[in-house]
Amino acid sequence: MIYVLYVIISLICIYTARHYWFTLNRLFAFQRHPYIDIDTADWPPVTILVAAHNEEKVVANILVALMAVKYPADKMLVVPVNDRSTDRTREIIDEFVARFPDRIRPFHRTNGKGGKAAALKDAMELVDTEVILIFDADYIPGAGLVRQLTAPFFDPEVGGVMGRVVPMNCGTNLLTRLLDLERSGGYQVDQQARMNLRLVPQHGGTVAGVRLSALREIGGWNDNSLTEDTDLTYRLLLHGWKTVYQNRSECYEEVPETWPVRIKQIMRWAKGHNQAMMTYGLHLLFGKHRACLRERIDGTLLLGVYVMAPITLLGWALALAVFYEGIAPLHGVIALLSITAYATIGNLAAFFEIAAAVRLDGNRHRICLLPFLILGFTVSIFSVSRAAFSQVKDALTGAEFHWDKTERFRKAAS
Amino acid sequence: MNSYLALAILMLLAATVFMLPLIPALVELRRKSDALPLSVIQQHAGEIRHFADSFRSYIKELETLLRESLHSRAAVFGTLPDGTDYLVLGCGDEALRLPLKEENGLCPLLIATNSNLRLPSHIKFSKDIYAGGQFVGGAKNQYRAILGEKTVHLSAASRVMRWVHAMGEFEADSDCELHGRISSDRGIRLQKPCSFQRLNAPRIEIGAPASDLPSSVSDHAAALITTRRLLHDGDFSIPPGETFLGNLVVRGKLLIGSGAKVQGSAKGDKGVILEAGVTVDGSLMSANQMQIGSNCNIHGPVIAERQMVIERGTRCGAVDQPTTVSAPWIDVEEGVVVFGTLWARELGQVAAKS
Repeated sequence: MIYVLYVIISLICIYTARHYWFTLNRLFAFQRHPYIDIDTADWPPVTILVAAHNEEKVVANILVALMAVKYPADKMLVVPVNDRSTDRTREIIDEFVARFPDRIRPFHRTNGKGGKAAALKDAMELVDTEVILIFDADYIPGAGLVRQLTAPFFDPEVGGVMGRVVPMNCGTNLLTRLLDLERSGGYQVDQQARMNLRLVPQHGGTVAGVRLSALREIGGWNDNSLTEDTDLTYRLLLHGWKTVYQNRSECYEEVPETWPVRIKQIMRWAKGHNQAMMTYGLHLLFGKHRACLRERIDGTLLLGVYVMAPITLLGWALALAVFYEGIAPLHGVIALLSITAYATIGNLAAFFEIAAAVRLDGNRHRICLLPFLILGFTVSIFSVSRAAFSQVKDALTGAEFHWDKTERFRKAAS
Repeated sequence: MNSYLALAILMLLAATVFMLPLIPALVELRRKSDALPLSVIQQHAGEIRHFADSFRSYIKELETLLRESLHSRAAVFGTLPDGTDYLVLGCGDEALRLPLKEENGLCPLLIATNSNLRLPSHIKFSKDIYAGGQFVGGAKNQYRAILGEKTVHLSAASRVMRWVHAMGEFEADSDCELHGRISSDRGIRLQKPCSFQRLNAPRIEIGAPASDLPSSVSDHAAALITTRRLLHDGDFSIPPGETFLGNLVVRGKLLIGSGAKVQGSAKGDKGVILEAGVTVDGSLMSANQMQIGSNCNIHGPVIAERQMVIERGTRCGAVDQPTTVSAPWIDVEEGVVVFGTLWARELGQVAAKS
C-alpha cells in the first residue's frame, strides 16, 4: 500500500513541477508568437466550419460576426454544419444563406451518427480548401481572427492551430467567474508555455484550424472519439505535424452558467481525454513515430491530466489508511506529509498558475476570487473521477459512449 | 478552562483562519468590480493604419479651422477640449519662422496644416503632426507621430517614437531611428544606416531605387496549396541549381544552394541559409536564425524566430502578391525590396552592402 502511495505522490510532484515550470516560463522566458506578425500576405482560400446542434440561441451571432471579418470575401467560405437540429437552427442558417448566397454554403445533416466529429466528417464533402477553420456556434470571432488563425498555415510544418478562448459571460455568477479564471490559467499560461517550450499545445476543436492534407494523412475526423480535438492533437503529433497556439488570437465564448451543465461538460471532456490516453498513450511514449522526446513526455503528461483526479482521490484514501494502520515508515509521518502535500503544494501550483495568468491579463480584483477555486476543483475532481469510473464500467459492459451537447444560456438573437 | 470550551475556541479560530481569504473573495463576488470579460479586439484587425485613422478622427474638429487658415494663411493657436494645445498653420513654411521650440528643445503643440509643411531642425515634437500637403522635417528632430496626406520626408538623424503614415511616399534619410509603425499607401524608402521596427507599404526599398522589379508572380500564388511534403530529421541541403517540388520541413539546418528553386514552402528548425539567387515560391520559415543571400526571390511570408539577415538585391513578395517579412532582429542590406510588411519585433537595421 505504501509503495502505491509513493507512486501517486511522485505523480503529483511531477504535475506540480510541471505547473510551476510552465508558469515561470510564461512569466520570465522568451515568448513565442512567430506567426502573429503576418499581417500582409496572398491569403489562401479558407473554409470555416461552424458546428451547430440545436443552436438557435447563438448561431445568428457567429454568422453575423463571420460576415464582418477582414478576410478576402472571395477566398472565404462559411459552412454551417447543422447537425440534426430540431429547433430553429436550420431556419436561421437558411436566412443567412439567402442574404449571403456566395459566402455561406450550409450543410444540413438530418441523420447519421451523433457527435461533432461525425458531423464534421460528413461535412468534409463540401471542403476543398487546404485551410479549414472550426468554430462552435456559441463563439463570436473578431474582425482579424480568421487571418490570425490562417497565418500559421504558411508554415509547412503546421498541421493544426489553436486560438485563445475568452468567456464573455464571466460576470454572471460564481461558476462563470471561476471558469473565467480557469480559462485564463489554461490558455494564458499553460498553452502559451507549451508553445514557448515547443511541447504539445492542445487543439481545442474550436477557434482552431486544421490543414486539409494533414487531416487526410491522419485519416480524417475520428467519429468514435468523444473529444475530436484531443484525438486530432495526438494523431497530428504522431504523424509529424505541429499544432501551434496563438495566444493573441482571442475569441469570445459562452461558458456554462449552471453546475449541472458544467459537470456534464467536464465529464465529457474527461471521458474523451481518457479515451485518447488509452488509444495513444503507450504508442506516444514508446512507439516509433515523428514526435521528439520532449513532445513524447509532455504529450503523455497532457493525456494523463484527467486521470489524475481519481488517482488523487485514491491517494487521499491510501494516505488516510496508511496513517491509521500505522504501517508507514516513521509511524505515519510520510503519510501525514502526503496529505499535507496534496492540500498545499499541489493545489498551490495550480493557484499560482491561475494567479499569474490573471496578472498577465492585466486584471486586478478578480484575483480575490482565487480561494473559491477550491470549490471548483472539488467539483471537478469528483466529476472527473465519476466520469473515469463510469468509463471503466462502460468498457466492462460494452456500453457505447454518449455525446452530450453543452446547453447554451444566451438569449436568442432577434 | 473547560475542555469543551477550549475545543470550541480552537474550532472557531480554525474556521476564522480558513474563512479569512474568503472575505475579499466574497466582497469581490458581491461588488463585481472586475467582472467584465477580457477585452478582445473585435472591430479591427490590427491594421498598421489604425493609429493614423484614429488621429484623423481626433482632429476632425479642426477641419473648419484648417480650411479657414489655409484661405487666410494665418497661424492659429488654441486648445482642444481634452486640453491639448494646438497650432494650425495656414502656410506650412511659417513653421520655420515661428518659435516652436521651448528652452528644453521641446515643442508641446499639436501641429496641423492643410498645406505643405516644413519643420525646422533639432526639435522634439511631443504631440502628433498633421500635414495636408507634403511634409519635410528638419534634421535631428524627434517626432511622436505624423500623418501626411502626401509625401513624408524625414531628414537625417530624425527619430520617430510611435508612428508615421504617409498617403504618398515615405522617405527617411540616413541615421534615422524609426520606432513603432511606419506606413505608406505608395512606398517606403530607407537610407543606410537606419533602424526600424514595423514598415508597411506596397513597396519598401532599402537604399538606391531598385530596377527590374518583378511586377507579378501570380503563377506562383498560393504555393500553400502544394500538399506534397518532405519531413526530414537532421540537416538537409538542396544542391545549387536544383529544383525541389513540394513543401520541405527540416528538423535540423536547411541549406539551399545558389540558384536552387523550391516550388513550395520550406522550413528549417535549427536555421535556414539561402545562397545567392535562390527562388522560393511559397513561404520560408526558420525556428531559429535565417540568412538570405543576395538576389533571392521569395514569394510567400518570410519568418525567422531569431535573427534574420537579408542581403542585397533580394526581393520578397511582388506587386500583386504582397507578403510579410518578420523576425525579432533583422539586418537588411541596400538594394533589398519587400512588397508588403517588413517587421522587426525588436530591432531592424539597414546595413551597408557586404
